[in-house]
Amino acid sequence: MDKVVVIGSGIAGCACAVRLAEAGIHVQLVSPYPSERSQSVMAAGGINAVLSDCEEGDSIACHVQDTLRGGHNLAGTQAVRTLCERAPEVIAYLERIGTVFSLEADGSLARRAFGGQTHRRTYYCGSSTGKQIVSALVMEVRRFETQGLIRRRLWSSFHSALIRDGRCFGAILYDEKSGNLMAEHADALVMATGGQNALFGKTTGSTQCDGYAAGKLFAQGVDLKNLEFVQYHPTTLETSQKRMLISEAVRGEGGRLFYLEHGERIYFMEEKYGDGGNLMPRDVVSQEMAATGRETYLDASFLGKDLIDKRLPEVRDICSKYRGIDVAAEPIPVAPSVHFFMGGIAVDNNHETNIQNLFAAGECASMYHGANRLGGNSLLAAICGGWVVADTIADRSRAGASPDFAALLREENQKLARMRDTSSVFPVMYIRDLLAKTMAECLGIVRNDSSLADGISDVDYYLSIAEKISYDPSAMMYANYSLVGILTLAKATLACARQRRESRGAHVRSDYPASQDSLCHASIVSYENGRYRVWLDKDKRYER
Amino acid sequence: MNVRILRQLTPTSPTRWEGFNVDVTDDMSIAGLLDHINYNDDIFDDQGNLTTRIGWECSCLQGACGACAMVVNDQPVLACETFVRDLKGSTIEIRPLRKFPVVHDLIVDRSSIHENLTSANVCIESYDPNETGSQAKLVKRQRHQYEIAKCLKCGLCLEVCPNYTNGLTFFGALFANDCYLVAMRNKSKAAEIKALYGEHFGRDCSKALSCMDVCPAQISTISSMAHLNR
Repeated sequence: MDKVVVIGSGIAGCACAVRLAEAGIHVQLVSPYPSERSQSVMAAGGINAVLSDCEEGDSIACHVQDTLRGGHNLAGTQAVRTLCERAPEVIAYLERIGTVFSLEADGSLARRAFGGQTHRRTYYCGSSTGKQIVSALVMEVRRFETQGLIRRRLWSSFHSALIRDGRCFGAILYDEKSGNLMAEHADALVMATGGQNALFGKTTGSTQCDGYAAGKLFAQGVDLKNLEFVQYHPTTLETSQKRMLISEAVRGEGGRLFYLEHGERIYFMEEKYGDGGNLMPRDVVSQEMAATGRETYLDASFLGKDLIDKRLPEVRDICSKYRGIDVAAEPIPVAPSVHFFMGGIAVDNNHETNIQNLFAAGECASMYHGANRLGGNSLLAAICGGWVVADTIADRSRAGASPDFAALLREENQKLARMRDTSSVFPVMYIRDLLAKTMAECLGIVRNDSSLADGISDVDYYLSIAEKISYDPSAMMYANYSLVGILTLAKATLACARQRRESRGAHVRSDYPASQDSLCHASIVSYENGRYRVWLDKDKRYER
Repeated sequence: MNVRILRQLTPTSPTRWEGFNVDVTDDMSIAGLLDHINYNDDIFDDQGNLTTRIGWECSCLQGACGACAMVVNDQPVLACETFVRDLKGSTIEIRPLRKFPVVHDLIVDRSSIHENLTSANVCIESYDPNETGSQAKLVKRQRHQYEIAKCLKCGLCLEVCPNYTNGLTFFGALFANDCYLVAMRNKSKAAEIKALYGEHFGRDCSKALSCMDVCPAQISTISSMAHLNR
């Protein structure tokens, strides 16, 4: 293949683009904003790998086991094995391209403990690991930009994929500067658009990650997977505009969770799970916190100012800046909040969707994390996934001539023109706010059939008015046209959650509290003539 | 409180100041204030006229991405980490960064930052930790390199810089710091990158160092300069 369009310039998109360029393939790297604005820069804690200097008793097999167990046996075994086996290569690569890792006094890479893992294997860069990796990757992208192999397209947004007869031939992009849609033909299209925060409004993530691409592709025939598994990060801090992530690194360094009863601290995780209780997997901790029915706190003050200043400066700064909390002197009030989406675009072991030459990597793809993701595995998966895509594309011959999509482009441009002329009492952001409220009510930590059914009916109503929004000329055009895709993804998510009549990992049903062995399969949702069909991947179609 | 915002619908539209009467709280950030104005179905200015939502860019809302860089009461800041409690006076005045072309209201096109770094091909390419010499030296230098890699490319250092105008020849503090990172992490490129640093920064920097006062990542540009000016 010779030309590839990559949508999204966070860590997965950049890792894929660089790897493609290394193979001599031309890449258009599409994102309205530069990589420095991506959600990847917010990844705080670290990246998992078992290196030669690992903790005694640790092994790649342990990393595989921890990941599969943490994901409640829903992730593909082969994919996870590949992820863990390639982890040392990923760390070596990141170091080679200049990522500023934290070091021990002897100059070796420092590592810390992370939740749900049997050994300390999380390598890190202070508490801004994602940002440090982005900075290094941006330089690599730049190196290939100067060679003419990567071309960044800022101010361009994904609109839809060019699909004909089950094959993808590129994408339609919207250029905010010219105000037009344009077809970008390519041998392959790679989606690296991140998670679907906009479904929930206030999350720990970026406002730019909205799930539109997955929703739009779904309506174009792309299967989605495991959407019901939404990770609630246990330790987030409430602020007026968002939930601030308090990195798992705080608990990795020894931070303790408690609630107050008659003025006395109850260390509920330690009481129930022993010494390692605070570092149980995120789904378990979030569910235990919710079950207390009380305000919960994270205490790191006993670690001392020096250690906090040295290893957790970003956490210290967030608490002080946004809530006036001195982490070295007082506990942090924390509550679970939407943080990561284990579900997304369904891809096989080559990260290819059910549409040929259409790939997905990073958080927008569902692959390695099953029903719950372990901290430190998302950065690893973003890079590894990007590489798998690139290597698959590099091994594949050119797609041949693209069919003529001129009529489709004309039609889509006309739709946008009609949208500019629409008028109703509903502005886009108003419907987005309603959606966030619905999703928070129906897809909280604990769900049930009746609230999920209510949620589907709410979203059906939003969809019925979404084509007749009050067009907002003061917002970017993307904000206007993306609404239907976001709502479509929301409905698909609710449909998956309703269909899974068991509790597993991050999906807890009060009406079906137990796990069922017969349901230990990924859920896939397919769009069939306007119908959302949810089915279990019993023959492992997406694990090949 | 009266909040005045410099509005511009498109890159070619004329600019105009528009006032809003806003109920603010001390703990409200400028980002929160903009959201507060935009949240209503209908938005009215302080004269009671119906107006449009204010365009502004955000992503992380926690000072980690640089999207919301703008000028508040004449200070280049990130809207998400500037709070009403820190501002003086009875009005708040918000305008877009001046050193970049306006796309819409407070949204500017900062592509020139990346174009300049690309034109100079500022990249490490290959880092070998063993090159640095002693382990003690390696660990000591780590702190400043870590700080530099936290640069948001937000453009605040360029906005405040008396030497940076349009970025055609002088590339500003963010360029100098990235040059330091490359020089420290790839010795074979040190001479080449130092020459580029001289051409696009060292030669024309008047050492006002106002860049350091406004940097959200608190990068000590003077430390980079001290090394690269040798």
